[in-house]
Amino acid sequence: MNFFTRIPLFSAKIITVFLYLLLAFWVLRKPKSFILEGAPAKKTWYDLRLWALILIGIQIVLYFIF
Amino acid sequence: MPVHFIDTFIIIFYMAAILIFGLFFRKYVSTTEDFFLAGKMLPWWVISFSIIGTNIGAYDYIGAAGGAFRFGIAQANYEWLGAIPAMIVSALIVIPYFWRNNVYTVPEYLGKRYQESVRTIEALIYGFFLVMLLGIFFWASGLMLHTYLGWPLKLSIVITAVIVGIYTITGGLAAVAVTDVVQLGVMFVGGISVAIIGFWKAGGVNEFFVKLSSTHPQHLKLFLPLDNPYYPWLGMIFGLGLVLSPAWWCANQAIIQRTLGARSEWDAKAGMLFAAFPKTLVPLLVILPGFFALMFASPSEISNPDQALPWVIKNLLPPGLAGLVFVAFIAALHSSVDSTLNSASTLWTRDIYQRFIRRQAPDRHYLFIGRVLTGCFVIFGVLLAPMTDKFPGIYVAMQNLLSFFQGPTLATLLLGILWWRSTKWGGFFGLTGGVASAVVMSLFRINFLYVAWWSFVVSVLINIIVSYLTLPEKPEKLRGLVYRFIERDKKAQEILRQKVEG
Repeated sequence: MNFFTRIPLFSAKIITVFLYLLLAFWVLRKPKSFILEGAPAKKTWYDLRLWALILIGIQIVLYFIF
Repeated sequence: MPVHFIDTFIIIFYMAAILIFGLFFRKYVSTTEDFFLAGKMLPWWVISFSIIGTNIGAYDYIGAAGGAFRFGIAQANYEWLGAIPAMIVSALIVIPYFWRNNVYTVPEYLGKRYQESVRTIEALIYGFFLVMLLGIFFWASGLMLHTYLGWPLKLSIVITAVIVGIYTITGGLAAVAVTDVVQLGVMFVGGISVAIIGFWKAGGVNEFFVKLSSTHPQHLKLFLPLDNPYYPWLGMIFGLGLVLSPAWWCANQAIIQRTLGARSEWDAKAGMLFAAFPKTLVPLLVILPGFFALMFASPSEISNPDQALPWVIKNLLPPGLAGLVFVAFIAALHSSVDSTLNSASTLWTRDIYQRFIRRQAPDRHYLFIGRVLTGCFVIFGVLLAPMTDKFPGIYVAMQNLLSFFQGPTLATLLLGILWWRSTKWGGFFGLTGGVASAVVMSLFRINFLYVAWWSFVVSVLINIIVSYLTLPEKPEKLRGLVYRFIERDKKAQEILRQKVEG
């Protein structure tokens, strides 16, 4: 644990943002056919990857601010 | 301080309206699928709001406001880092597998993927946990009515039990989900009203944050140093963000059940994903009151951080609005109680009764048992409620106990979905070994966030080692249950699509 106490607190933000970016990358790799399976229409707004990316974007902004 | 008659009227009106509204759904219940899965008719927006209604309890209001009062915005990690990524993973990895396999419970999926003993262990863990929670919820609800309205405590508990019990027994998941939507609406109206009044008293949003950052700069930091006993940043990221939160959002029956009642796979995924938007706003409801208390109350007025929210309601809000915020509390409790009741009934009926007591019976028999068990759990919860007062640490103890299981459960679930080589014995020993390691770690008084993380790691390692030491499962058994045999398998996709379309 001593090792970790020497890590600056700011790195927590960097790790968090990195994990969010990793998640965004994974979301983008999901095939469209899987995402839209059972969707009422094939319109852009039914693409759940877009919803997920908006959510991730909001989180990154919040973790940058605070 | 006497309660204004407008407040009393609002509270009684809410309770009567929610009962009548919930009862409306009884006519839609004629099979177990109607009762436990709302007839697989739920649209994504009902699922979304029901998930958040279930997730926010009255304890969260009081505890989170207290946490914000003491430590600041770090408390919001439970709503952001501790929820949003896990909800995305749940929506895009876990839920499609549950929904396509037409399971009623999370243990049912684990039983199909691994073996029946894994199903039984998981069902008993969550079945026991949910039933114990009911006593705590009923006690909290009764205590609120008793404290605020002056009604006798036992009568207050019984009133809550009767209202929620009646519509849950008659209307099943449909009544639970739709009343949750109304209850969430009430919570947000109440919470946003508090936010508006608080900002107005502070002289505006900008003024509020300028004052707060000058008087309590540490309160606007999401991550706190490692020596913080409650929110060490490493524990928040690895314990909460990577284990506890995914375990909650991927494996908690009370959360997952409404997605299993979705009318399509897309609705199930979209329901969970859209729920993350209101979840992002939850700190407005639960964190801001803590900050308002910090700003407006004198230090002598709040000796215990959990008094922050009651102080705000009592001192900042006018009559009518105080009643509305109180109704938001009651709504938060009701939405948690009804979901817990319905999920406990589903687990005990499907995973225990139907397998160990009466295997082959007509569907209407299981519907009857589901209702009887719901009624029994209501009575049990009422009888258990006073115990909460005798053992004040019971809620914390229950939460700590659950943290023993969450890491291993998540490891078993994720490996089961993502890794075709994980075998039935890998799953069994991974789960039990992980739980044993969590118990041992807790004996050394390690922070529960680290216990969750390391028990997850231990569980993954045991699962992998045992799986390589045992024979792989046959592809026929895994078809439709794991990533390799669903997403990459076009034939399986086609078969499942045909199956789903009936």
